[in-house]
Amino acid sequence: MDFKRRNGGPLGGGGAQAKRSKTGGEWEDSPSQFEEELLMLEEAEMEEEREGQAGHNVIPVGDLFSADLNPRWRRPPAPSLDPSSDTLVFQQIDLDYYLGTRVPGMPGQSQGKVPIIRMFGVTDSGNSVCCHIHGFAPYFYVPAPSGFTSAYLGEFKRELNSAVLKDMRSNKDNISVTVLAVDITRKENMYGYHGKHILDFLRITMAMPRLIAPAKRLLELGFKFGPFPAHNYQTFEANIDFEIRFMVDSDVVGCCWIELPKGKYRVREEKSTGSMDSQAPGKESLCQYEVDVGWTDMISHPAEGDWQRIAPLRVLSFDIECAGRKGIFPEPDKDPVIQIASMVQRQGEAEPFIRTVFTLQSCASIVGSQILCFTQEKQLLQSWAEFLRTVDPDIITGYNIQNFDFPYLLNRAAALKVNYFPYLGRVNGIKSVLKDANFQSKQMGRRENKTINMEGRVQFDLLQVLLRDYKLRSYSLNAVSFHFLQEQKEDVQHSIITDLQNGNEQTRRRLAVYCLKDAYLPLRLLQKLMCVINYMEMARVTGVPLTYLLSRGQQIKVVSQLLRQAMKQNLVMPVVKSQGGEDYTGATVIEPEKGYYSVPIATLDFSSLYPSIMMAHNLCYTTLLQKGAAERLDLAPEDFIKTPTGDKFVKSSVRKGLLPEILENLLSARKRAKAELKKETDPFKKQVLDGRQLALKISANSVYGFTGAQVGKLPCLEISQSVTGFGRQMIEQTKQLVESKYTISNGYQADSKVIYGDTDSVMVKLGVATVSEAMEIGREAAEWVSSHFTPPIKLEFEKVYYPYLLINKKRYAGLYFSSSADTHDKMDCKGIETVRRDNCPLVANLINTCLQKILIERDPQGAVDHAKEVISDLLCNRIDISQLVITKELTRTAQEYAGKQAHVELAERMKKRDAGSAPNLGDRVPYVIIKAAKGAAAYMKSEDPIYVLENTIPIDTQYYLDQQLSKPLLRIFEPILGESKAESVLLKGDHTRCRTVLTSKVGGLMAFAQKRSTCIGCKAVLKTDAAVCDFCKKKESELYQKEIFHLNTLEERFSRLWTQCQRCQGSLHEDVLCTSRDCPIFYMRKKVQKDLDDQTKLVSRFGW
Amino acid sequence: MFSDLSAQKEGSSLLCRPASENQGPVFERMLLAYSPCCERFKAGERSFGRQYAHIYAARLMQMRPVLSARAQQKWGTDVLIRKLCDMETGEQCCIVGTLFKRMDLQPSILKEISEEHNLLPQPPRAKYINESDELILEDELQRIKLEGKIEKDKCVTGSVIAIYGAERTDGKFTVEDYCTADLPLQPTRPELSSDRFVLLASGLGLDSSQGDSMLGLQLLVDMVTGQLGDLGEQSGAATISRVILAGNLLSQSTQDKEASIKAKYLTKKTQAGSVDAIRVLDELLLQLVASLPVDVMPGQYDPTNYTLPQQPLHRCMFPLSSAYPTLQLEHNPYQANIHGVRFLGTSGQNVCDIQRYSSMDSHLEILEETLRLRHLAPTAPDTLGCYPYYQKDPFILEDCPHVYFSGNAPTFESKLLKGPDGQEVLLVTIPEFSSTQMACLVNLRTLQCEPVSFSSFCTDEDEECEMNVSH
Repeated sequence: MDFKRRNGGPLGGGGAQAKRSKTGGEWEDSPSQFEEELLMLEEAEMEEEREGQAGHNVIPVGDLFSADLNPRWRRPPAPSLDPSSDTLVFQQIDLDYYLGTRVPGMPGQSQGKVPIIRMFGVTDSGNSVCCHIHGFAPYFYVPAPSGFTSAYLGEFKRELNSAVLKDMRSNKDNISVTVLAVDITRKENMYGYHGKHILDFLRITMAMPRLIAPAKRLLELGFKFGPFPAHNYQTFEANIDFEIRFMVDSDVVGCCWIELPKGKYRVREEKSTGSMDSQAPGKESLCQYEVDVGWTDMISHPAEGDWQRIAPLRVLSFDIECAGRKGIFPEPDKDPVIQIASMVQRQGEAEPFIRTVFTLQSCASIVGSQILCFTQEKQLLQSWAEFLRTVDPDIITGYNIQNFDFPYLLNRAAALKVNYFPYLGRVNGIKSVLKDANFQSKQMGRRENKTINMEGRVQFDLLQVLLRDYKLRSYSLNAVSFHFLQEQKEDVQHSIITDLQNGNEQTRRRLAVYCLKDAYLPLRLLQKLMCVINYMEMARVTGVPLTYLLSRGQQIKVVSQLLRQAMKQNLVMPVVKSQGGEDYTGATVIEPEKGYYSVPIATLDFSSLYPSIMMAHNLCYTTLLQKGAAERLDLAPEDFIKTPTGDKFVKSSVRKGLLPEILENLLSARKRAKAELKKETDPFKKQVLDGRQLALKISANSVYGFTGAQVGKLPCLEISQSVTGFGRQMIEQTKQLVESKYTISNGYQADSKVIYGDTDSVMVKLGVATVSEAMEIGREAAEWVSSHFTPPIKLEFEKVYYPYLLINKKRYAGLYFSSSADTHDKMDCKGIETVRRDNCPLVANLINTCLQKILIERDPQGAVDHAKEVISDLLCNRIDISQLVITKELTRTAQEYAGKQAHVELAERMKKRDAGSAPNLGDRVPYVIIKAAKGAAAYMKSEDPIYVLENTIPIDTQYYLDQQLSKPLLRIFEPILGESKAESVLLKGDHTRCRTVLTSKVGGLMAFAQKRSTCIGCKAVLKTDAAVCDFCKKKESELYQKEIFHLNTLEERFSRLWTQCQRCQGSLHEDVLCTSRDCPIFYMRKKVQKDLDDQTKLVSRFGW
Repeated sequence: MFSDLSAQKEGSSLLCRPASENQGPVFERMLLAYSPCCERFKAGERSFGRQYAHIYAARLMQMRPVLSARAQQKWGTDVLIRKLCDMETGEQCCIVGTLFKRMDLQPSILKEISEEHNLLPQPPRAKYINESDELILEDELQRIKLEGKIEKDKCVTGSVIAIYGAERTDGKFTVEDYCTADLPLQPTRPELSSDRFVLLASGLGLDSSQGDSMLGLQLLVDMVTGQLGDLGEQSGAATISRVILAGNLLSQSTQDKEASIKAKYLTKKTQAGSVDAIRVLDELLLQLVASLPVDVMPGQYDPTNYTLPQQPLHRCMFPLSSAYPTLQLEHNPYQANIHGVRFLGTSGQNVCDIQRYSSMDSHLEILEETLRLRHLAPTAPDTLGCYPYYQKDPFILEDCPHVYFSGNAPTFESKLLKGPDGQEVLLVTIPEFSSTQMACLVNLRTLQCEPVSFSSFCTDEDEECEMNVSH
């Protein structure tokens, strides 16, 4: 597809450079504007390519399986199926479509290629199913021109058909019919209220999905037929994915159960070679059952009751190891794949039932795992692909498989010409190919993602899931597993991998264990985070395929729901050109009254604020009164409302909006799920229900975001700005109401005061002394204030903060009391330096501890003392270096960065020292700031923490104090100590005067300096190497005890740290190789070794 | 203990007029030949650059021949002894390896320092065993999970044992039987013509505040130095030829753990918490060493290094008593020949550690178990701090001691153990003096051991409010 056409085409959006508008909190995880843009650009393109894939023109010669495979890998044998007496029930997990010829006996266009939906799924007994669904064709709507009658249908169809044909550059598929049918239907435009004005719409059914785009463009640019003049038709629902269209029309939601009633479907048999019987097409997929069915004959079960269950899906997790060369990141055309570890688990079971490692060269056995050794890498890859096809996983996971493992395997297989490798999908003859997808977002910068097609299998890269759903300090597998599982893994450096591979079968075994663990952890994490369940529930709730959730944004989910709801009311959704809109005011914030409150602060929250505003005020596309509409339709003033932003919407008495209805469904479904959750006792079902209610909540919140997304499918500024407008008004009103009622003059203990309010909550100082009183009044106030608002808007009393530290807008901390008035539930911190990644961990830890002391122990003085101690420790070089490490990702080379940056400069310097261990592009570079000559640029002061430890290079403690600690510390202490005093107390004083100055072992004049012993007691220079001077001799015992005690403490640390690493690596008899810098004890164990050697030397001067 | 001795004298010498103006009889202290054998516990050049894998490797290498022989003894000479990497599924065989117990409750330094968890300190527990524990056997190259006839709660990490059974298809090993190295050979013990005693005490628990406990301690000193009781008892005291103090001379309170984490600007002027207590100890030792040899072992709370073997307390801390050659500052573990009787023992850390990590509670039982494992401290280095030895494991018992003791036990227990090869070992758990006011006396002639109680104030048993110098 040439670029020109894409750009000129109506789908191109004409380079919509819309500024992404501020749309409030809930929308932040949406894909970037660029992604949405690309998505629209690509839609047409994808359609064409996907269709091309179905051509089956690349059937590999030979067999995809060898004979000698482990029978345990296979799926359970599938009992034979008799369509006349058996119904087939399966859970579908993925669906796509292809163009094929009509299968006899099935509905659909008999001429040429027809689109056929291909659905993949698994039965209750774990057998795989591929279901071809026939007879569904894509369509869209245009309003019928005035004066149009059914007599013109034929002509319209003919003209459009020829226009579309003419528009085609080439017609390689020999399409003769593009427009299958044109019908008149009665529909209504969804956008705006027109007084229930039902119009004649033309429903235009096309032969193939990809013909929608040109037909739409032709109609929009001006289409002339018969007696009607050229007219720019507005198109409706012409920008819907074919899969979504199908799912909406057939009431299929993601991952739902499908039933094929007996007598309504046909089973495909294995194709015997040679006989190409066109009457009954043979099997095309690797699935155990392959069937054909007409689209109206299948039954889709809504995910309720028993149909909420999950089939025993097979989840494969894998990890590969490559033997890189020293200092170079592995390149697939040069560096071999040496091991592939795989684990297969059935969804819902606790342990993987297949554990295998494919290794290059021999490898000693690992109990509990099957090891397959190969001498030829080609053979290894080939066999692994066969393994994958035999195991036939429904879901493939791993860590960064999407951008590393799969691309590497495919490229490596191509380099080695392993022809049978890249057939990883479930459809015979479709090659898995690698494509680049650009992705840009504000938070993550530009990223190049890769995509690989694998029909019928869901790729579920855990890294992508985490990047989407969690905000973490580090995304290395190690850090992630520690965070979620409190489990470490051994981290073997790239350079050691090659050494291990080149060793003997035992060293390779060690590598294999490591590789297996990397395959295992994603499974564990998947289980722990309930990713599969949550995502599946989300797919069911929103009605989109599972794969969309990871590859697409939020919008598609709302579109899917909107279409389903619209269909019921005969509404159609217009195609709107996305354009940049102006910003609108966001949520409101009541100016905080900063301070430390040692009285209970009640918090009143609007539950599901935005959804409930939309429901309460009936805000929707269908109720929007566009300019002048109220007058034109002659509506009475009581029929519509005017929102705070001046937009008008009709009341639900006139017409009930779609969005409020969707939201009601979602929220009542959530209520139901929560109620069921309470009753449920089975832990697995509990998980499902919890995932469900969470999915429902997220979906409800994303509806508002959808209306505000300027580059979306159907933005509507009037709705989104009205929502935030109402929100602002309600917060203000709540403040006034509360402050007017809860006063001394009304008989309450004190005048209440709203000290802060944000988006959907207000914090009230009620002036009562105990949590239980605050709870009581809080509950009462919430109820009373709620009565002033339209239901279902409801102000809820949720929690009391006591004590409460209000630092600034969106920055506060407090002890959270909710379930009981006696014990707090947790410490709640908002917007305080705890997860910011450009800070060193010391900051987060110190702030955290200080907050704990202030809030939990209610000991502000203790917090000050603790802060002072930590500052003193910092200045005395007693802080663990891991606390001082700052990490940044090396995303570009030094030349590409505009300014000089600390981590980039360090990477360059490390490369000069030792290319092997230097960080590569894409690695996270850890560094500390070291003391340097006066005036040295900050970026030159970065250094590798290990190098610092080994050479006792002094840390620039002042930098850490001034640049890292001081600001956040002052921020939390200013409300307590007062602005002027905080600085003088914390950053000046005794504790800053005692400092330890290290002397570096490298550089400067150190080479010329001679070290002489000093008395341990008084630091007098000694002539001998004795411990103390004559004067201090009488104190020798005391001094000795102090030093020996220090040694004692260090030894204890040493033994605890190093045995921990042994446990973690899972071996007692082998040295710890791990170099995971994310591990909190990595630097510690290194430092304790050094300190211990130094202290031993010191103590030995006493004569041991 | 000496009551039989004193009974021979007619009447009591206390309740009568002094026999003459002069001092009365002088009982000569009976001393015995003594040779310390602590070479293997000496520190020498220490370096912490190494890791702990070596000590496990050395341990396994040294123990393997012993265990292979035991295995053949137990399961027949034709028993198949395999390494894990050569083992085949389903094959009945014997594996020699190091045990590893994976324990969920085990305190983890990782959890302690991890940022997410610094909110919740792990609750200190008396025991860390749990149902979810897993037993794993590891040889030089591989490890395997164990199931079957092996008591996982009784086993501890670091023990080298031989197991017999077969690997199942699910990768776990079903143990049918197992054996330990059992007692090593014992040198012969010379016969003694008369009773000679060695007094064992531990856990004096001195601290800066000198309270009631001092009276009991003073009684002990007076008894040993012959300043207590009648002539008979004094003559009995003269048969005590040596005192061994098995660790924890100072109390835990002298360990100012806070000081090490406190900021420097706050601790610059402070001194170690042990200074006063050491001064008291010096004075106490002075009384003892003036009259007989005293072997002083350091313990968990004493001012020396943390890891085993603990090095002797430094002479500079004992300006008074160190003038006497009878003050022997010893290592922990302690090993010495006293008149040909081989003593081996520790201040109790090894036993306490096993108690925490296994279901065994009796210190005596644990002591016996370590003897059967032929290893002083199997849990070192895993949960018990120990120096990262490189080519040797000094804690393996190369020969069998005659007296095998551990200090700081909650109660006194002793037992004469007879080994399969005619070994005779006296096992003693020395009670913690500060809490029990008890020490014990070992008779080198008979290898009998009896406790001596100094409980001066029995608050609950009024009738026995006399000083109870025997039991």
